[in-house]
Amino acid sequence: MALTRRQALKSAAAAVAAAGIAKPAIAQKNPILIGYLPALTGPSSSTGVGINRGVQMAVDEINKAGGVDGHQLELISRDTQSDPTKAVNGAAELTKGHKVSVMFGPVNSGEAIPVVPLLARASVPQLHPCWVDQLTDPKKYPLCFRNGPTNQQIGGAANRYVVEVLKKKKVALISDTTGYGTASANAYGPMLKQIGAEVVYQAHVDAANPDLKPEVLRMQSAGAEAIMPWSVNAGFLSRLINTRGQLAWDVPICGQTTLGSGQTKALLEKPEYWNKVYPNNFRPVCYGPDGKLPQRTSAFMDRLRSAKIDMNDTLLWWIALGYDAPMLIRDAIKAAGPEPEKIVGYWNALKDFPGVYGDISFTPDEHNGYPDKQVVMVEANSLKEGAFNLAPGYGAA
Amino acid sequence: MVESIVLSGVAIGCIYALIGVAYNVMFSASRVFSFTAGTLGMVGGVLGSLFILRMGLPIWLGFILALAGGALLGVVTEIVAVRPVLKSLDQHLYVLSTLALALIVQQFTAIEWSTEPQPFPRIFDIPRGGFDQQFWLPMLACAVAVVGLELLYRYTLIGHAFRAIAEDNYAARALGLPERNLRIASFAIAGAIGALAGFAGGQLLLAFFANAPMLTFYGFVPVALGGMGNNRGAVVAGLILGLFQQAANFLVGGIFASVAVFTAFIFVLLAFPDGLAGASTQRRV
Repeated sequence: MALTRRQALKSAAAAVAAAGIAKPAIAQKNPILIGYLPALTGPSSSTGVGINRGVQMAVDEINKAGGVDGHQLELISRDTQSDPTKAVNGAAELTKGHKVSVMFGPVNSGEAIPVVPLLARASVPQLHPCWVDQLTDPKKYPLCFRNGPTNQQIGGAANRYVVEVLKKKKVALISDTTGYGTASANAYGPMLKQIGAEVVYQAHVDAANPDLKPEVLRMQSAGAEAIMPWSVNAGFLSRLINTRGQLAWDVPICGQTTLGSGQTKALLEKPEYWNKVYPNNFRPVCYGPDGKLPQRTSAFMDRLRSAKIDMNDTLLWWIALGYDAPMLIRDAIKAAGPEPEKIVGYWNALKDFPGVYGDISFTPDEHNGYPDKQVVMVEANSLKEGAFNLAPGYGAA
Repeated sequence: MVESIVLSGVAIGCIYALIGVAYNVMFSASRVFSFTAGTLGMVGGVLGSLFILRMGLPIWLGFILALAGGALLGVVTEIVAVRPVLKSLDQHLYVLSTLALALIVQQFTAIEWSTEPQPFPRIFDIPRGGFDQQFWLPMLACAVAVVGLELLYRYTLIGHAFRAIAEDNYAARALGLPERNLRIASFAIAGAIGALAGFAGGQLLLAFFANAPMLTFYGFVPVALGGMGNNRGAVVAGLILGLFQQAANFLVGGIFASVAVFTAFIFVLLAFPDGLAGASTQRRV
């Protein structure tokens, strides 16, 4: 059959068009590019370094197992240095320069606040673990999903523990004067009242104040049965714990995860002052009433040990949430493909993804994937290999 | 309650007073308010913790090295942030240069030390009690520093030379006094006093980079209230500030305590523009 000039031109045009619509990030057996914005240096880096260990381990495991349909995952990482400006620059470079298929991070809220709208405009699917409530909104940011809890869930879990498990109805709420501290205390007060508690004392205190005795005495005279501090400042939290200890006041202190951090511990006057201090944590990465980790987590710990990943200077939940993120991305690309709308479509229908950190589910109207029931409180003084014991009163899962 | 107000208030007041004295010593030698004074306090706490807890040096050696570090930073302040702007004092460029240096040191400490407060060692191995060493150490340090400075200024030749350049810089130079060397020595002494404040108050304030702006701010209040260049006024004003702040902590609490302190500060300055102990200066017109 003779080929006419018109047919030849049509064929050439079709070939050019086909090449033009080929996916930029996943042509043939090219690697799948994943943008990644960890804070590996700077003030927020302890979290970032922990998360990074999990991310690297997951990508290594996926690639050793053959990648996704023969495509290796390639992490293109930019250290944000805990600086929102650098996070924005990194996000722009990864989306416009490298044209990544999907983005994980930033991994702290201060950096995520400016990056989330930027990625929404760039139409790049995003997964992040940051807690600030406004960082997901399926209408404003339809491509953005959260594989961690929200601040509401964190406060809600602490409130439920105090009121429903410890049966304490009179609560003293105290925060530092940062945006996080004041916003948290102001939000959690009404939530406490909704579940039948009374906020008998509430104050915002300068974290640099070296003497918290006046505050603690006021809590005491107000009849508080539990103290709920909201701050990420280890100095502020340790002064509060020390003052409670000096006054020999036997009330529980329940609140943010920093209550259980090594920095807080280092500032305590006596180790026993850490008793009856209950920070937030996450059930799948905690030792249960039987002293054991859940089976899935236990197997994960074995893999961490054989990969010689150091657990003594970090927390298990940081590593676990980092590990889960590439797995969520792998599952989406494997099942639906690397196009943004396909990834988003897959995640919008995700139900009970069995993560080490938690069971993640999304719907088109709910992009906060972490389940309420897995946000729990733990015993601060029980840290062992990066994980804590569940606080007293929780039953087996 | 009264015991707690007095103990904490006087201890914190002594730290503020020492920072105020550091301001004054630098001011007397150069007519410059160096806003590195609070940074010197922060450095004293951080170096004390670094040498004793992290490096395991004996406490006495850690103490001497912390003071030496403060003195060195004082000298660097004079060379880097003060000397270049001395010729244009009326333009107040020293505000920018000293604040810039303070910021550089603070950020460097945050990056190299820690952004979290770090523990400060117990200096004496004695049980904790009501009148604990965390309270009496700043008081002792303040007393030693102020008495030492008085003795230095009154009874030594070099002390007279310091007073001479503080009184009239040009006349002192005309008499052959080595003004530059004396200024450097003054900044070294101020650095050591600032570091002493941070070291003595380390158990209260911890070894924390963010103590720098707090001490710079609160340490300036005794200077303003006590009269510029007046060490005795700074000590009295520092003690009043500490006691008032602690009383406000007890009585109104929370962030309102700081509001109360600065409201009182503004009212005092409205009533006494030259400070409580300051004398108004005559100006030839």
